[in-house]
Amino acid sequence: MQPLVSVSHLVKEYGSGANRFRALNDVSLDIHAGQVLVLMGPSGSGKTTLISILGGILSATSGSVRIDGREIVGMPESQRPALRRDLFGFIFQGFNLFPALTAEENVAIMCKLKHVPQPARAAANLLESVGLADKRNAYPADLSGGQKQRVAIARALAGHPRILLADEPTAALDSVSGRNVLEILSGLARQNNRAVVIVTHDPRVLEYCDRIVTIEDGRISSDELRRHIPPTPGDIA
Amino acid sequence: MSILAWKNLLHDRVRLIVTLTGIVFALVLIAIQFGMFLGFLDTAANIVENNSADLWISAPGIPHVNGGSPIQESKRWKALQVPGVTRTANFAIFFVNWKLPNGAFETCQIAGFDLDSGMGGPWNLVAGRVEDLRGEDTVIIDDLYKTKLGVHKIGETLEINGKRARIVGFTHGIRSFTTAPYVFTSFKNAQNYIPMREHETIFILLRTAPGANLPAIKTRLLATIPGIEIFTHDEILLRTRNYWVFGTGAGTTTLMGAILGLLVGIVVVAQTIYAATIDHLKEFGTLKAMGATNGQIYQVIILQSALAAVMGYVFGISVALAIVGSTANTDLLIKLPWPVALGIFGLTLFMCMSASLLSIRKATTIDPAMVFRG
Repeated sequence: MQPLVSVSHLVKEYGSGANRFRALNDVSLDIHAGQVLVLMGPSGSGKTTLISILGGILSATSGSVRIDGREIVGMPESQRPALRRDLFGFIFQGFNLFPALTAEENVAIMCKLKHVPQPARAAANLLESVGLADKRNAYPADLSGGQKQRVAIARALAGHPRILLADEPTAALDSVSGRNVLEILSGLARQNNRAVVIVTHDPRVLEYCDRIVTIEDGRISSDELRRHIPPTPGDIA
Repeated sequence: MSILAWKNLLHDRVRLIVTLTGIVFALVLIAIQFGMFLGFLDTAANIVENNSADLWISAPGIPHVNGGSPIQESKRWKALQVPGVTRTANFAIFFVNWKLPNGAFETCQIAGFDLDSGMGGPWNLVAGRVEDLRGEDTVIIDDLYKTKLGVHKIGETLEINGKRARIVGFTHGIRSFTTAPYVFTSFKNAQNYIPMREHETIFILLRTAPGANLPAIKTRLLATIPGIEIFTHDEILLRTRNYWVFGTGAGTTTLMGAILGLLVGIVVVAQTIYAATIDHLKEFGTLKAMGATNGQIYQVIILQSALAAVMGYVFGISVALAIVGSTANTDLLIKLPWPVALGIFGLTLFMCMSASLLSIRKATTIDPAMVFRG
């Protein structure tokens, strides 16, 4: 089974000379479609750096990252927006919704960005899929934390990305909302054959994941497979 | 993406009010300062601008139209002999003392013109007739200066340089750059008020044949008549304006005020728009992280600033026009002609969009960690 994401000997350094700091040190990792992978580790361990490189936001210093068969290390900056737009859905700890836009507009703007036909209708369908059909005209300020994160998930799903990258998606949520969000994310991985990568400190996440990768001081210190994912037609042959 | 630009602007009412207040303040400052400067230029030389003479003959070296000295009237007849000159007329502008009903004096300027040619006569007449100036000791003043000159209505008599003067009409809006209002009268009457000898005049105004070669006529006149200076309409206009604008502290101050108004306006708008754009930095970072190109982010930022510019302009120019309107009946002239108003619109767009461009670099070089950590 070919992985959807293949990371090999990845190194990321910040600064130069005496101030050089290695945030990721020889990280190798494969992520498969249908898998919910949790990245754990103490603050400053390199989790956010890794997810930023996986998402094509940050450039690596060396090593290899192949996404859906495409090498992204060394990819020119001009090609990265299309990579992010076409392959990824992003979910942020602080939701990062546009406060001036309604829930539906927040999702629709991403549908437009991804050239989804009939973006307003697509946005309404995505909101319905996360149980927020009745909140389509609400502004972020009028939504609870859980509702905001569900809007963010609907937005991340615009254009049906193959990989969802979620940074602390439950950190700002109460236990009920957090579980609700995790159920949606794990369902998306399993039913829609996506890879879902979650960066978290939240132990609630563990019961929904298939694999736990722990990073310490820029290195993978443990990689625990909790559930075997059978190969599916969505995997790369 | 245009919806994000539009709603970003409108969603936060307080921010919108702050942004628009900044733009409106800057626009009003620029419009009024430049309007005052334009009014200044207009007032400084309106007596020339509204004079239909093609050429002006004066004593040599006059600093401006209000600073002429007497020349022999007989030069008129010599001028008439020059080919291309079709008509000549005497014209006098001279500072005189106007005695108020309470016995105090105001300084004003006699504008004595030839009634038959009409060159140098009043314009914007709102009461009385120019023909009434054929009567002895008759004058026309501007209604903006009624209070200053202690005049209420036609028929009242006062004293100019100790000689009787009877009001026979009023103009509207003929302002004087100096504190001395213009008093129009016939050249014949003016000779009574101005301390000059018989057969003297201050200017000789010439009308030339249609399509005449003015430089050639000037050359012939200078060869024919010694001891004079000759100006075209534009030359005396320019000399007068240059004198008042650059030769006096008042003119320079107004010009500096206009330039400072522009600079302060640019700074205020730049700061306002920059702050408004930076407020949305996190959103632009989110857009970028999710796949928006720098071009798409530029589009949102520029559109947002252009919308702010249009809204600010509508409010700003309305306030400026209201201020201009409120000065219509005062001796302060603020001019805001439509080409200037249009130019200010272009300037506003330019200022807002340039200011937003300053923040674009910040928006497109956001640290990805900022996006992930919110």
